[in-house]
Amino acid sequence: MDASVPSARAGGVPAETNGGLAKRARLRFSPLVFVLCAILLVLILPPTFFLIDVSLHTTKADGSFGNFTFAYYQQLFSSRFFLTSLRNTAIYAVGTSIVAITTGTIQALIVERTNTPGRSLVFLGAVISLGIPYVLYVVAWLLILGRSGPLNALLNQWFGIEPIDVYSMWGMIVIEGVGFTPLTFLLMSSVLKSTDASFEEASMMSGARPLTTFWKVTLRMGLPGVLALMLLAFIRAFESFEVPALVGLAGNINVMTTDIYQSSHSTGIPDYGESGAYSICLLFTVALLLLWYNRLSKHAHQYQTITGKGYRPRVINLGRWRYVTAALLILMFFLVTGLPLIMLVFTSLQPFYEGVTADSFGRLTLDNYAEFLRPGSFRDSIVNTLILGASTATLVVPFTALCAWLAARRKPGAWLLDQIATAPLVFPAIVLSVAFLYVFVNLPLPLYGTLLSVIIASSTRYLPYGMRYAYAGVLQIHVELEDASKASGAREAGTFLRIVLPLLGAALVSSWLFIFLLTVQAVSLPLLLVGPGTEIVAVTLFDLWQNGQATELAAMGVIWVALMTVVSATFYFVTRRYRIIA
Amino acid sequence: MCESRSAHVRAYVGRTGGVAAVLAVAAIAALLTAQSTAAVAQEDILNYKGPDREQKLIDGANKEGEVALYSAMIVNQALRPIADAFQKKYPSVKLSYWRGDTEDIVAKLSAEERANNVVADVVEGTGVGELAVSAGFLTPYYTPIVEEYPASERDPSNLWTPTRLSYFSAAYNTKMVPADKVPKSYEALLDPQWKGKMAWRIGTSSGTPLFITNLRMAWGEDRAMAYFQKLKDQQIINFGSGSARTLVDRVMAGEYPIALNIFAHHPLISKAKGAPVDSQLMDPVATTSATMGIPKGAHHLYGALLLIDFILSKEGQQIMASAEYFPARPDVPPLPQLAPIVPQIAGVPENFVSPENLLKHTDSSEKIFDDLFR
Repeated sequence: MDASVPSARAGGVPAETNGGLAKRARLRFSPLVFVLCAILLVLILPPTFFLIDVSLHTTKADGSFGNFTFAYYQQLFSSRFFLTSLRNTAIYAVGTSIVAITTGTIQALIVERTNTPGRSLVFLGAVISLGIPYVLYVVAWLLILGRSGPLNALLNQWFGIEPIDVYSMWGMIVIEGVGFTPLTFLLMSSVLKSTDASFEEASMMSGARPLTTFWKVTLRMGLPGVLALMLLAFIRAFESFEVPALVGLAGNINVMTTDIYQSSHSTGIPDYGESGAYSICLLFTVALLLLWYNRLSKHAHQYQTITGKGYRPRVINLGRWRYVTAALLILMFFLVTGLPLIMLVFTSLQPFYEGVTADSFGRLTLDNYAEFLRPGSFRDSIVNTLILGASTATLVVPFTALCAWLAARRKPGAWLLDQIATAPLVFPAIVLSVAFLYVFVNLPLPLYGTLLSVIIASSTRYLPYGMRYAYAGVLQIHVELEDASKASGAREAGTFLRIVLPLLGAALVSSWLFIFLLTVQAVSLPLLLVGPGTEIVAVTLFDLWQNGQATELAAMGVIWVALMTVVSATFYFVTRRYRIIA
Repeated sequence: MCESRSAHVRAYVGRTGGVAAVLAVAAIAALLTAQSTAAVAQEDILNYKGPDREQKLIDGANKEGEVALYSAMIVNQALRPIADAFQKKYPSVKLSYWRGDTEDIVAKLSAEERANNVVADVVEGTGVGELAVSAGFLTPYYTPIVEEYPASERDPSNLWTPTRLSYFSAAYNTKMVPADKVPKSYEALLDPQWKGKMAWRIGTSSGTPLFITNLRMAWGEDRAMAYFQKLKDQQIINFGSGSARTLVDRVMAGEYPIALNIFAHHPLISKAKGAPVDSQLMDPVATTSATMGIPKGAHHLYGALLLIDFILSKEGQQIMASAEYFPARPDVPPLPQLAPIVPQIAGVPENFVSPENLLKHTDSSEKIFDDLFR
């Protein structure tokens, strides 16, 4: 089979047996890969150059670059907080990855592989919790776990336990990990959806129990997905800022991002030198991680379970155990979506927030919602926001699907696509925003200040997520299907459009939703890029968070979540209706 | 010069690019000359003092048709009402605004200035003025209305005018801090009972640097330093993300009994709704002023002046007052419910931390914070 399509598999020949051929194949670029690489470079090089520049030059009062310097890199490594911060960051990254991947994978397994009642609700739950603006999500958790929150009140009342302190490492890990769960669930479920269940059936028929089967067969087959997730979760933890700032700083726990923020953001004159240096260091780390990931997925054919045979995954009848799994799902739904949402709704109905006390139930009010019925506030910005989210997701998803397919099939030079498209993952949002600000304001095209500039920047920022969703999906499709298509005379474009894309359906729909929901709630990117007169909901929300009261913010958050749920559900049903997903 | 330069360029790019290069250089030269004449005209417009100034501004602004304001004021409460009122008064000048925090405004303005692609016509905010001045982004302008403001709040070099004042105080949770225990002075904060119970906002010049700068200015370096050494043992919680307003929300929620260096009026607004929170002014109260200026290279100068006049006017300042800000204009009183925390009314001495002073001290105050409190 391989011999008949040498060009497609050339890169996959293990280097140790045929190094020369592999090397030559790596140096060759197909025209398509070349064009895609060029597009990616146009998007990613300008902000990257800005970051390199900013990390190697002092910044003067007027924002211009001064002398060439390595001082920021030196500062980074010689700070007296460096070792502590690095250790904290590592614990935080490992901790959140474990929490997020465990909960997300368990959810996905139950939903995709068992006949547990009510399992489709988990999808809805994931979408709702992704719809909650991140700052609000974190604050909701702080209200729940905080010193005056209901958890501590209950613990104290029932067990007489001293209040637990959420402003600690475990608090950071729980909040970030749980917040990341929808992503892991969506990705794992799309992986499992397209995994052939016959292996699991074989395992069960050979007498293995369901748990053993999950562990030994299902998980192993989903390995590309799990690895992709580890990569995402780990790197994200390294660049995440909200949770470390809101939770960690208050408990005097510093990670790298908050350390840098503290040293560079207090004097008013924006100096991104150290953040730039950190981003560049992260960039190298990620490149290494990706190389390692690529080596692992070199033996990707092991995971290709979508073959020419019927592959529809079948569910396992759990019998009476299905009520246990249902309870588990409900518990997780409650944790990931229910609790923060309840807290949000409760807060939005209060004249002011004073914790969950007996008094507070006597003062429920709808006043906070009245604010949004006034003309002009928030309604203007909804259209802009929907255009922004939908365009970004619609641009990123097919583009990354193509890149991921080429990369996964090891077309000549395509490994570069993956490397370049993953780079934006490491740029902290605020630094990337400033970088794009400089790119657009200097462009001779009249793009500065337009919604289109935000769409371009957002597309760049979310490329890595699209890439991981699509890549994990492609790895599961056996190459024999594409070979069959080629053998029947289809050209590459036809094969991609008519065979690969439809088989990727589930992964792409998840990817679209995820990118849409992330884009519409991003703050710093649109804030710096839009011009006067163009408003974005997330920015308005953020203003409220900065200047308004928690209660008004919660009300706006509830309206926002409702809207996002409707949009996502519509999208989901439309794709179902047109059989893009089963 | 144009000739030799283009010859040089032509040699460099070769035959094909030659014509384009000549055109480009010619265009750049034309732009440069246009700009230098524009710069002269700019100064004339901005500093015109004739009796027909207002009519000139209106005519000019009508021709320009639009004006863009970058401001740190809240959209719903202040920016939208100001835009609406301005629009009503000058229907043919379209006012559009962009809202960001001080750091965002400075970042955006600095990018625009460096790219010579200035969109902002007026920039406003606490801390925006002095940062923009020190970076050399602002251009002087004349407005007769500023005469109606106290000299201490004006800029001798006419680069900015004041828009609104802020007073800083402590906030406390009235259920957690009984009335007779409320710390009423900075010394009282050193009481061991408040150890680990106070929070303050870090990471912005109006946070910890302002708190430290205020006491250094008022007390002198030695006394202030001795005080900070003792305050260090109180283990103040560093509130790292979110505004002063969100810190007050945490005090209301009972997370922290006391917050330092917050906007004194925020607790009053919530107290009026029944929240268990109040402000405590301490001698000296730090007072700061937000300012506005016109960036170099702004495109709508007539509109910018018209807008500045409007914001400084009684009408503009009244909108500011009803948006729960403290008007900088002496003859416009703040909302009656907010008056109790105005230091002059409350009889507590205040220390006006002028924009220059805040900027001048920020780095050294930040260092004190780093050494003692981080």
